[in-house]
Order: sequence, then C-alpha cells, then structure tokens
Amino acid sequence: MDRNQIGKWLRSPQKMSNKYSLHAVYFCTGCGIIEIPPSITTRWDAERFGIIPAPNPRQANLFLITGYVSLKTLKAIIRTYEQMLEPKYTVGFGSCPINGGMYWDSYNTIKKLDKYIPIDGWIAGCMPRPEAIFVAVTHLWTLIEKDMATGYIKYRKNYKQYRANQEKIYGSLDWPPLYK
Amino acid sequence: MKKLKDKIEDLFDNVIINDFYQNRIFVKTNKESVVSLLNYLKELGYDHLALVSCVDHVEENEFELVYILSAYIHNEHENQEKTNIIIKTRISREKAKFTSIINLFENAEPYEREIFELFGVDFVGHPRLKPLFLEINYETPPFRKDFDTRKFVDDFFANIPIIEEIEDEK
Repeated sequence: MDRNQIGKWLRSPQKMSNKYSLHAVYFCTGCGIIEIPPSITTRWDAERFGIIPAPNPRQANLFLITGYVSLKTLKAIIRTYEQMLEPKYTVGFGSCPINGGMYWDSYNTIKKLDKYIPIDGWIAGCMPRPEAIFVAVTHLWTLIEKDMATGYIKYRKNYKQYRANQEKIYGSLDWPPLYK
Repeated sequence: MKKLKDKIEDLFDNVIINDFYQNRIFVKTNKESVVSLLNYLKELGYDHLALVSCVDHVEENEFELVYILSAYIHNEHENQEKTNIIIKTRISREKAKFTSIINLFENAEPYEREIFELFGVDFVGHPRLKPLFLEINYETPPFRKDFDTRKFVDDFFANIPIIEEIEDEK
C-alpha cells in the first residue's frame, strides 16, 4: 500500500475501497466493446487500476456504455443499471452515447444517453484507445474522492423525470418503477 | 443437354434472363410466376434460399423483391450448372402485398418478417407476421425511401427534455 495514502484510508475507508475496486459490468453494446478485451487482458491489464469485469450487474459498480445505443439496447441498459448496487458509476464510451455520433440522423439510435440514465463521465472519440479508458478511470477516482460522482444519487432524486423520458420512448415499460 | 437459361425460357413466358456474369443468372419476371418458378428451380436441385430482399423504387412507385437461390450440392451427373439464381420481381407500392413462400422454403420466415416490418409489405399466408426488430411503431416503415429520418429525429428524439436537477431544500 502507498504510505502517503494511509491518512485517506483511515479517514474514509469506504470511499477508498470503492475507488480501487471498480467491477465493470461485462455489457456489450456497439463497436466499442472491441476495446475491452485487450484492456482487461495482459496487453493493457486493467487490474492495475483495480478494474475487473463482473459476471453480472448485481456484483458490479462500473458501467461502461461502449457505443451506439439502439432503442432495444436502451431497454437492456436501463434494466442493467437499475439492478446494480449502489454506489454505481457510469461512463459513456465513444462519441455515440454523447450526441449520436455518426448515427445522429438514425431512426433507431438514442442521441443523448444522459436523458435516460445518469452518466458520471464521458470518453470522447471514435474509437477511444484503451489508454483513454484508464485516463477516464483516474478521473473517476478524483471524482469519487471529491464526492462528485453522484450519478446514482441524481437518479434517485430525479427518478420521475428519468422514468418519464424512458416512457416517452416506449409508451409504457413492462417493469414497475424502481423508486417512488 | 439444355442450359438452365433455355430450360427456364421454354417453360415460362414473361421472363427476361441475363447471364452476363459468371456463376450468376438474373431472372426478371412478373409477380404471378415467381412462386411457380421457385418451385421449378427447387425441383431442379436449387434448394438453398440464401436471401429474400426488397428494394424501394420510389420514382416508379414499385417495390422490387429479390430472391437468391443456389444449390447445396452441385450435381454433376445431371449436368446441373453451378450458379446463383437471382429472381427479381416488381410489386406495387400502394398496399404492397405478396404471397408468402414459407411452404416452399421454410427459412424465408425471418426475411419476410423483416421486409414486412421495415418496408410494410404484407405477405399473405405467413403464420407469424409481427414485428421482429423494432421496439416502437413508426408511421411510415423506416426503410421506405419516403421515410424522412431527419424529420423523425427532430420530432421524436429532440423533443425529449433534458433532465433538470432538483435543487436541495435548505
């Protein structure tokens, strides 16, 4: 352990352990998922940063959305996000979740993902290199340390708005609201 | 032995055959004789339906249905030609309707459902003609040429409001 960080560990052990054990949901959407296998295996080894893919959303707290989000995928993303345990962090990966990217005039692709679920950070680019994931992760550490990665609190607080937006797309959702 | 082109031309009227390319035969025909032509070719041994597709000719107000056939096993004893057969036919764009070929080729089912969903062509005799890919209902089927994607994006996605954060009460 880094001796300089002992003070931080003693002051807020929970925050520090959240920071260094990010379990990413292995959720594949779009083309960006092709960057994930090299970054979690030996070439770039995400475990140096404490990231490890989790087999299911209930054991994970980092959600990488790795590409364009079609209407069908959005449904799965919302369900996955709602199943994850708090604290949970989301990172939009690539330019498609930000504003549609090259699918800006597509009839079936979501343009701005943060209208439907909260996003803590974005990685711009098409495609971002695996190094960009680690830059994003180190930024996320800073955000967690400063209590700024509060997407899940925002989701709880503004759930009515999020739910209304989700229902605007599909008409009605076939699962009950997560919060009252 | 007769060539495949001559065999088809002998049996069917209203066919235009183009065998300009190697290993490829284009057969243009009218919509009444498509099913019998497919039936005939299946008996000849071309038993693999590779694709059913649709092309929108919006200026001529017509859809073009494309069937691609080939043979799994190339039977040399009966002098069968090793070729892909591409059958094209035109149907009207208004209230587009065509006969389902599921009785002949079972694997046509997803293709016909896809064309029904994305182009709005009604296949008569299809047992499960319901949406396959899309999550929401579009007024115009989205693969038609007169479907304005930019207008749809402006009407649908741009109208969804951005989340306004509720400030904490102090």
